[in-house]
This record gives sequence, structure tokens and C-alpha cells, in this order.
Amino acid sequence: MEHTQEDGAVEETNMAAWLSGIKKLQIRPYHLPPLGPNDVKVQIKALGICGSDVHHFKNMRVANFIVKKPMVIGHECAGIIKDVGSSVKSLAVGDRVALEPGISCNTCNLCKNGTYNLCPKMKFFGSPPTNGSLANQVVHPANLVYKLPDNVSLEEGAMCEPLSVAVHACRRADVTPDTKVLIFGAGPIGLLTMLAARTFGSPKIIVADVDDSRLSFAKHLGADAIIQVSTNIQDIDEEVAKIHKLMGDGVDISFDCVGFNKTMSTALTATRSGGKVCLVGLGPSPMTIPLVPAAAREVDVIGIFRYRNTWPICIELLRTGKIDVKPLITHRYKFTQEDVEKAFETSAQGGDAIKVMFNL
Amino acid sequence: MGKGGKSEGSNGQEQNMAAWLVAVNTLKIQPFNLPTLGPYDARVRMKAVGICGSDVHYLKTLRCADFVVKEPMVIGHECAGVIEEVGSEVKDLVPGDRVALEPGISCWKCTQCKEGRYNLCPDMKFFATPPVHGSLANQVVHPADLCFKLPDNVSLEEGAMCEPLSVGVHACRRANIGPETNVLVMGAGPIGLVTMLAARAFGAPRIVIVDVEDSRLSVAKKLGADEIIKVTTNIQDVAGEVELIHKAMGGGVDVSFDCAGFNKTMTTALTATRAGGKVCLVGMGHHEMTVPLTPAAAREVDVVGIFRYKNTWPLCLEFLRSGKIDVKPLITHRYGFSQKEVEEAFETSAGGGNAIKVMFNL
Repeated sequence: MEHTQEDGAVEETNMAAWLSGIKKLQIRPYHLPPLGPNDVKVQIKALGICGSDVHHFKNMRVANFIVKKPMVIGHECAGIIKDVGSSVKSLAVGDRVALEPGISCNTCNLCKNGTYNLCPKMKFFGSPPTNGSLANQVVHPANLVYKLPDNVSLEEGAMCEPLSVAVHACRRADVTPDTKVLIFGAGPIGLLTMLAARTFGSPKIIVADVDDSRLSFAKHLGADAIIQVSTNIQDIDEEVAKIHKLMGDGVDISFDCVGFNKTMSTALTATRSGGKVCLVGLGPSPMTIPLVPAAAREVDVIGIFRYRNTWPICIELLRTGKIDVKPLITHRYKFTQEDVEKAFETSAQGGDAIKVMFNL
Repeated sequence: MGKGGKSEGSNGQEQNMAAWLVAVNTLKIQPFNLPTLGPYDARVRMKAVGICGSDVHYLKTLRCADFVVKEPMVIGHECAGVIEEVGSEVKDLVPGDRVALEPGISCWKCTQCKEGRYNLCPDMKFFATPPVHGSLANQVVHPADLCFKLPDNVSLEEGAMCEPLSVGVHACRRANIGPETNVLVMGAGPIGLVTMLAARAFGAPRIVIVDVEDSRLSVAKKLGADEIIKVTTNIQDVAGEVELIHKAMGGGVDVSFDCAGFNKTMTTALTATRAGGKVCLVGMGHHEMTVPLTPAAAREVDVVGIFRYKNTWPLCLEFLRSGKIDVKPLITHRYGFSQKEVEEAFETSAGGGNAIKVMFNL
């Protein structure tokens, strides 16, 4: 949409997808803040939909984050630099970049100790009250904007965000060539965790899910074995026996990329003494789980919140082809009112929709 | 104190006696034939044996988690004594040495053992964990490498206390306690108290301890807790208690030790601990728990599990030798080794309350 400025010049009005009510997304003008000396202005070209975006869309909240006023949605993004602040040396207009969504305060203890993802003052794209990035353009700190190598596409750049969750989980859980891995959930996060675990050297990876088609896809992407499980808590013992048979040995690390009683209970039971269960998926709370028998075998539970210091490694893994995220992009939409609505519907349905991507 | 339990056989040799768990709530002092002394073994005359919550649990239910007492078993595992005889290959110990015993014999062949996490050995043979006999006896035979010489200024009772103290030490290591970790301890029973003492020895600058019982909290304060808070068993009270805890701590809780292991204590710990902190689950209350794990995990609060200990006796003995830790106040009741006293001792221990550690002197 164009508008005429005071000096007669015609400028594009920046438009964004605003969440203004339950299941109510509207493309409307989005006025950007002025460019600070350390900021860049990015023309967004690729943006993926995350489960949390869908959750905001359906509920106007995620956990304690409540959408109290209209908010621009979206945070998994990449684009092209349109303008750089006066102090920005590392980036230039025209650079293709991926964006790390969260601006931390850099003054609290959590930030200074390197755990900036836990900063209580974090301003994160699409996490109320901070506006997201499903827009023509955004303004963002240059130090959170990473140049893409020539052979990494803008869509792959946008995939760095969910891939970062997987990489952070593999780091926290300490995946190595010695660790056999079990993953619950073959959705986008489970699949990326599988790809990241392989890159970190895991010699054997089993993926579990309720959905046959998602499991086939996981096998296609390189799972050593797949196992269809149920949502029934009674089936745990049987499923654990099957998992152990498939693994041939102990499960060193389990990633629960779903976050329900059933998956967590299975993970806690299946993981060997001294192993780890990494809780990545954010499901309902409280959970009812066999925590004591697991703790009494020194199975530790590792928590995951987003990521920290992951863009450089993600970009490098994509550049060298060590990880190929392209097959995960299953649906593409344009930045129009109709397509925005369709895209969210598709993403919300799950099934064979893994990553739904906007091309702007 | 009765020296009862020792009796002579027909050839004048001493008959080794032990306290056997023969049925629910039934302990009997009966003969206990020792195995022959192997080249790497030591025969130890027991002098001090403490009662553990697990011993009481076996007495009351004949089981503990998946371990079931299927035939009579000698009870007891927290012990210290005097070397009577050593095997032919034993170089570091001689008769007369006062030693503390580490109860568990691991296999040293499996991956867990070889990687140093021998406490997780699937073939572990542990005093008084069925089917392995315990050490509430006149004498036991045990691998010499699991008998640790006591420094001159450390008593046999303190030697026996190394076992529960080891749980506290292992927990502090796994939770990485140091001069920068503010610590919350849930439960002021023997394990909560040794965990508190260990945390202080590891350098924790501030320790807040909570319990439902006033008298136990007073003991904790006397033993050096910075603050004590009385809490309830009511899940509704979590939010209020977390506020009190934060106030008492004066800052964030870096590490919480749940030494009780119930929904309420775990929920409080998971809620009270700061982002990036740790909750160490030491106590084994409920098998299945209903807890707010997701919000805690989403703040990267990790849950660290504890099973017994590994490589803790040398450090415990050094803490006791230097006086950095004083376990003596925890020994609240003492009994001799006679049928009547064994029964009374277990009753006292099971009663809890102002009974912290009940100790046998043999």
C-alpha cells in the first residue's frame, strides 16, 4: 500500500499481520520506530509459522503471556537489509539476513552469565506486548541479525529459528557420538531435534509419534527407527519394551518434544539410569509423572526455553549441508489477507503440514 | 548398653549374631554365619550402626520400591567398626583399625561402573537391600576397599554417620553447590539436615530450610540454617510459601533440595527456584507426582536425581576430621544390641518427631 509523504514523495506503507482477537488476523499498517544507530531495517522475505503463533491466534495467550492489545504476529524470519543505523559496521544494504527474535536487556545477571534467553525483560517478536515480524519491514538490533551465506536461501534463514530450539536442546542435553537418542513427537520441533542430534553425532535415533504419516516422514529424513505410540497411559510398559528392543541398548537421552503426561512418563521410564530427559515441548501443567523412580535412577530432567547463541552454528550447518531443513517446508503462502488466514488454518491442522512458510 | 547378641558356640568360638528381618514388624536376633574371608576382604566387628528410613520401611512393609524381602534378611547399613582380620591381599588395613563402611558392592564390569557411576550398577549388592544381608550384626565380612580408616579424632558413631552424610554430599556435588549458590532445603529430617550441613561445607552462602514441624526446624536453626520457615502440607499454600522463601533468601533460590519428595514439596521447589537453577530430588515420597514441571522446564529449572552416593567416604571423613561438619548433634537416641533394644530402637526411629538419628552401640 502506498502513501504520499509531506514532501510529495510516495512511500510504501509498512503493512503487518495484526492479531486483534481470537482467530482474528488483519493486515493493516504498521508504523516502525525510527532507526537507532545500532539498528537495521529489514525487508522481511520469508517467515514461518510456529506452534506458539497458532496458539496466540487461537487463544490470545500462551502461558502467562496475554495479548491485551492488537499485536503483530510471527517471529521465524529472514529478509534483506534496507537501511543500517549510523554505528552499524558489519551489515550493508542488500545483505540477506536471518533474524534472532529476542532482545534481552544485557544488564541483568542472567544476561551477563550468558543465559540471556532467560532474561526477565526479554522483548521477543510476537510475544505480547512485543510486535512480531510478519510484516513488510521491521527494525531490529544489528547484533541480532545474521548474514546468510550465498548458498543458504531466505526460507532456510527463517528456519534457523526453530532449528535453534533443536540445537539448544542438543547442547543442554549434551548429545554426542556416545548418546543414543529417543525423540517423542515427529512434528517440526521433533524433526529438527532429530536432524540436530544427528549433526551432534548421535549414533542412533528413534522417533516416536501417534501419527503414521509423520513417522514415515521422520524415517525418510533419517531416523534409524520409528515407533507408533498411543495416547494411552496404560501402554507405557509395552512401548518402553519396544523402544528398548529397537534401540538395542539403553536410551541415553530422551527429548520430549510434545510435553504431555504420556510422553514424559514414557521418556522417564525408557531412559537409562544416569541418562537425561529433555523437556522441549510445552504442554499442559501440572503433569502427573513417575518422577521419583526416575530421579532415584539419576535420570535428570533438563528444561528448554528457546535458545541462546545458536544462529552462527545453525547458519554454518545449513551452509555446509550438514543439515537440510528444506524438506520440512511443506506449505507456502503469500502475504495477503486471504493467504494469511489460510496459512494459519493449515498450520493449526498439523497432519502433513510441517512448516508453513510465508514468502513476502 | 547391652552387649547382648554375642553367644558362644559349642567349640568356644564366638557365634556371630545379627538382627534379622523375619516378617513384617518382626526383627529377631539370630545367628548369622559369615562367608569365608576372601583375599581382598576384611572382617569387621561392628561398633556403631545407625537406622535409616529405608530400614524402617523394610521393617514395616518388607519392601522398598521394587526391592522385596522374600526371605529373612539381616537389617542395617549405616555402620562403622574395628578390623578383626584382613585377607591375604589387603595392604592398607590391619586388625585394630577403626573403619567406616561403604555398604554397596558394585560389579566393576558394567558400563556404569567403568564410567564411575557405580552407584547405578544394576548388579549392586547393598547391605540390607534384599537379597543382600545388612550389617546390624556382631561382625560382617566386606571388601577392604569399601572400609575407610577413621582419623583419630573421628568417633565410630561419626563413622557410621558417613553413610547418610554421603547422601547429602553426593546431592551437593550433583547440584553443584558452591560459594555462589543460595540453597533451599525442604525437610528437616536426617537427610535434610545432612544436606544442609554438606551444603554449608561446600560453601553455600545462604541456606533456608523448611519443614512442617517446629521442633525439627529448631534443630535446623541450631545446626546453622540461616532461616527456617514452617510450611504446610496444603498445596494451596505454595504461592504464599514461595513468597516467604524468597524474602528469607533475600535473593533468588539457586538450588532447591527436596529431601521429602512429595507433590507439595516438589511443587514448592519447582516454583521457588530461579530460572536456570536446579531442583535436586533426594527424597522418595510419592512414586507418581503431580507437579508444575512444564513452567519450571520453560524457565530452564533442571531436576537432578539422586541415588545413594559415589566416592564420598574420603570427603566425608575429611569434613568430620577438620570439623567442617559436625554430625554428632544428629544422634539423638542410642540403644544396645539386645532383642528388646533392637525393637525399641526401630519404634523410636519410626516415630520420627524429635528422633533424628537412632544409633546402635555394639
